[in-house]
Amino acid sequence: MAMVEVRGVGKVYRRDAQTITVLDGLDLDVQEGEFLALMGPSGSGKTTLLNLIAGIDRPTRGSVKVAGTNVAALSEGALARWRSHNVGFIFQFYNLIPVLTAEENVALPLLLERLSRKERNERAMTALKIVGLADRAKHSPRQLSGGQEQRVAIARAIVGDPKVLVADEPTGDLDAKSAEEILTLMETLNRDFRKTIVMVTHDPRAAQRAKRQLHLDKGVLQA
Amino acid sequence: MKYLPYILKHLRRHWFRSLLTVLAMTFCIFVFCVLQTFLAAVNQNLKAGNSSRLVTRHAVSLVFNMPQAYRDRIAGVAGVTNVAMENWFGGARKAGDFKDFFPNLAVEAEPFLQMYPEYILTDEAKRSWLEDQSGCIIGPNTAQRFGWKVGDAFQLESFIPPYRIGKPFEFTIRGIYATDEKRFPGTDKTVMFFHWKYLFEATGRRVGVGTYVTTIADPNQAGTISHAIDALFENSDAQTHTETEQAFRASFVAMAGNLALLLNLIGLAVIFVILLVTANTMSMAVRERRTEMGVLKTLGFSSGKVMGLILAEAGLLGAIGGAIGIFFSTGMIKALPFLPFIGDAVRGIADFGLPGSVALTGFSLALGIGLIAGLAPALAAYRARITDLLRQV
Repeated sequence: MAMVEVRGVGKVYRRDAQTITVLDGLDLDVQEGEFLALMGPSGSGKTTLLNLIAGIDRPTRGSVKVAGTNVAALSEGALARWRSHNVGFIFQFYNLIPVLTAEENVALPLLLERLSRKERNERAMTALKIVGLADRAKHSPRQLSGGQEQRVAIARAIVGDPKVLVADEPTGDLDAKSAEEILTLMETLNRDFRKTIVMVTHDPRAAQRAKRQLHLDKGVLQA
Repeated sequence: MKYLPYILKHLRRHWFRSLLTVLAMTFCIFVFCVLQTFLAAVNQNLKAGNSSRLVTRHAVSLVFNMPQAYRDRIAGVAGVTNVAMENWFGGARKAGDFKDFFPNLAVEAEPFLQMYPEYILTDEAKRSWLEDQSGCIIGPNTAQRFGWKVGDAFQLESFIPPYRIGKPFEFTIRGIYATDEKRFPGTDKTVMFFHWKYLFEATGRRVGVGTYVTTIADPNQAGTISHAIDALFENSDAQTHTETEQAFRASFVAMAGNLALLLNLIGLAVIFVILLVTANTMSMAVRERRTEMGVLKTLGFSSGKVMGLILAEAGLLGAIGGAIGIFFSTGMIKALPFLPFIGDAVRGIADFGLPGSVALTGFSLALGIGLIAGLAPALAAYRARITDLLRQV
């Protein structure tokens, strides 16, 4: 069984009297341990599809199954719980909380778990070690470079040991060297930690680092 | 509790804005506590009034005295069981200096003791006072304040012209009365009572009577008896106005206009303004953090939890401001009696201090203002879709 199973998914946005069809009957399978890159022009529906897989948006029709759970059928509260255990999200602009240190940012999702402060900190430090930033644990985001911020964001995404990582343009705001480091880190997570990764990117070089590339155009997947 | 460091860090993010909001809340609760303490003291004073006691005064004003001859005529009214003459003396230890002021009244001692069971004296103290024309009894708080004990002597000089005899009145303490809070709550513990006869003799038998206090057999007949007393003097030079002791005390408050309404309106206005200030702060704080709200929801925080975090932050702002406000108001209330002008007004109030109920109400109010102020942005964050929150720049 595929880790991500998208069947007949449609997504329509309504703005006043206008309806915009972003996805129309899309099917997609992502196998466990796969590293998939989704490419396509702006407005093609890449981020929408990623949001549906991550359970932060709901399809207008069709089903999205991730790790055997029909995400679209879950209630608001159940979906939030499901996200915290199953999906790690990596944003283009890192989205770290500026008032928290790197360690506190990474430990943020663990506040939802029944863990002591010590346990939360230990797990956060483990995640920071994986991304190579243990020595920056007490630094605030403004004391970190863009690449380091994104690594902290990746540590936050993996700290709960999710099955799937979704990344929306993870190198879109980085210089070439930092982008390279981030992609290498994602490869490591995919190869060594068996994380299933779905990455949206505009950058063909970034897409090349994935095991499979798919193109999305006007809501339809191209081979 | 595990979210507290997270909330505190957010409050420190714009520390100056948070500080200003806390100060605004502090001011609000400070004003509320001081005003309500004053009102509570006045109300307590009113409660201490007895509905089975009537007070008769000059119909025109308390400033004017009534003839002594009224005493027996009032005593003859059906339903009246006892009568005592009383005059507000207005004495101070140094003439015109009210820093050490405590309430002092000349009373007709024998009927007074029968009519006022709330001032509890031993038989020996009663006898000792009745036998000494310059003797007096004082409240326990006044005794404690000046370190006085039975047998001590002191002097008082009145600011009221008819009572100014060119030298101070000398008094000897013959008893320190006790009070019973269970039976007679709110009894003033600061008053000094001395013999009316002493005042009368010392002023060359020139003074009249300030008020007649009467006890009546049936409090339900208070209205009828009051009318009957006033009717006696309807065609005299000194017409009277009789009312229950409670109404008499309330009229002092009414003299300053509708004080309670005024103070409450001031308090409400301050609270309303602070509510707007805090609501504005919270709206700004949340609007700036819309993306962060989206991130929290993406990480698995439910909408309810995100809403709870915003409300907790707003409530904490209120609670901190409220606690500081109560702290400062406690200090101010202690200092009030020593301040010029206003000190004169509050020194006579029995047990003037911040009541626990007012402090609790003030703190709840601060918490409530914070929560109400945070409600609109919290609800907006609750309802917002993650994709909309993340789309914000």
